Amino acid sequence: MTATMPIATRHRLLLGALLPIAAIVVWQAWGMAQSNQRVPLPTRVVANAIAMIASGDLPDALLQSLGRVFGGFAIAALLAIPLGLAMGRSRAIERNLDPLVESFRPIAAIAILPLAILWLGTGTPAALMIVAYAAFFPIVVNTIAGAKRVNPTLLAAASTMGLSPWATLRTVVIPSALPSIFVGLRIGLGVAWTAIVAAELAVGAKAGGGGSGGIGQMMFVFYAYSIELNRIVVCMIAVGLVALVLDRLLRAMLVLLLPWSKAT
Amino acid sequence: MTATDIPRATSPHESPRAGLPVRLRLEAVSKRFALPDGKETIALADFSLDIRQGEFLVIVGPSGCGKTTVLNLLAGLQMPSSGGVTLDDRAIEGPGPERGVVFQDYALFPWHTVWGNVEFGLRHGPAGRGLDATGRKERVRQAIDLVGLAGSDMKFPHQLSGGMRQRVALARLMANEPAVLLMDEPLAALDAQTRIILQDELLRIWGQDRPAAQRRTVVFITHAIDEAVFLADRIAVMTTHPGRLKAVIDVPLPRPRGDATRAHPQFQALSQHIWSLIRDEAYRATVT
Repeated sequence: MTATMPIATRHRLLLGALLPIAAIVVWQAWGMAQSNQRVPLPTRVVANAIAMIASGDLPDALLQSLGRVFGGFAIAALLAIPLGLAMGRSRAIERNLDPLVESFRPIAAIAILPLAILWLGTGTPAALMIVAYAAFFPIVVNTIAGAKRVNPTLLAAASTMGLSPWATLRTVVIPSALPSIFVGLRIGLGVAWTAIVAAELAVGAKAGGGGSGGIGQMMFVFYAYSIELNRIVVCMIAVGLVALVLDRLLRAMLVLLLPWSKAT
Repeated sequence: MTATDIPRATSPHESPRAGLPVRLRLEAVSKRFALPDGKETIALADFSLDIRQGEFLVIVGPSGCGKTTVLNLLAGLQMPSSGGVTLDDRAIEGPGPERGVVFQDYALFPWHTVWGNVEFGLRHGPAGRGLDATGRKERVRQAIDLVGLAGSDMKFPHQLSGGMRQRVALARLMANEPAVLLMDEPLAALDAQTRIILQDELLRIWGQDRPAAQRRTVVFITHAIDEAVFLADRIAVMTTHPGRLKAVIDVPLPRPRGDATRAHPQFQALSQHIWSLIRDEAYRATVT
């Protein structure tokens, strides 16, 4: 593979890798100079990561969190897409609902955690509520924008072909809005993932380390009980990697599902 | 008639195709728009015109003369402020599949292939009622072949040239088999050569070698005088401020028309005559 790579590209890659590698080396050297055995070190992080994957603890926690993210995300999408389409296409509906949406939007998902815990306890339902809340706003805002941006000539074309309002919504408005809806879904999924980790961390404190699981709670246990900094770093890296994979998956889906959207 | 004869304008209610029934009728139509500052603008004033079965009527005029308004009224996309607009003596109250429209920017669905665009009205609109999947497929195939796009079925609009996009729009129109074709400057965005080719194609697709009773009725809008003379049975010349009908001119050039038509002395004479009708206004539009 590298044999076919142009020299300029290879140089760029080397240059780009230089800083991270240097940072890891400095981190390792600095950590080895400390006497404290708890200081996180690249070598210890790698060893711990291997152990946590081998025991199945890390994959289990990630899967549990991912399940909640997808559940809450699905709830958010089911509510936000129809609502966004209605608000984007009907000025009356938008005038009525826009103040409501806009006044809730700045309230961070984590700020509704107290209510969620009071109403739904510290288990999965509360987590779903927080994730759905977090993902709802980016999806609804982008769906509204997409539904508004429908080319009026396409609507005129559909009406001159005698399409019913329902058929027009299905065959013109929704396809026109899809690229924008997808942007909302991508941002929403990222936000949902951020929210679940925060929520599980906070629930972890409330639940006293007991167990509703998930990657956030796992981090809380390492922080509050066993004080394993290396493992916390492993969790942080895992959270980042999962977010990256989710985003790339959605992008790949976008290219597959909307082959024309590069042109629009 | 000699080559230098210039046909006189006929009255709006007379047509050389007097034997055939009137399809579209605009009677004393005016259209006013409210401006944001509360004032009104008159886009169209006291416009009367009959269009008969199988007629190719072209509306020419400078920008802002209200020609697109006339087309939108016929399409049912706008309603007149006063006066009547009818198809076969029934008032036009909205858009309908019996009046197909070709838009200047083609209005193709970017998420559909050529095939999907041509199929659109048959699949989702009333034009496809009574057609099963096989019948629909045949109709789409015929329409795509008719405009010469066989082999491009699976291409998306963004992969096509302007001329090809306009062919797709024509195929979509013809697949729906409307009784009336309404075309709003469909060739305006094309380069000069593509335009000439598509003018020829348009007359072929319209069926210029069939008798008028079997042709579709066409209302075609353009600002290009030579295009109007080449295509039209009659030309409605419009002027601005407010948009009005200035003259209706018969084009007695023989059909089928082709390259020989463009070289015909009468073609030149008619073009000159129409130019003389709108020259002053076209000139003013360039200096104010």
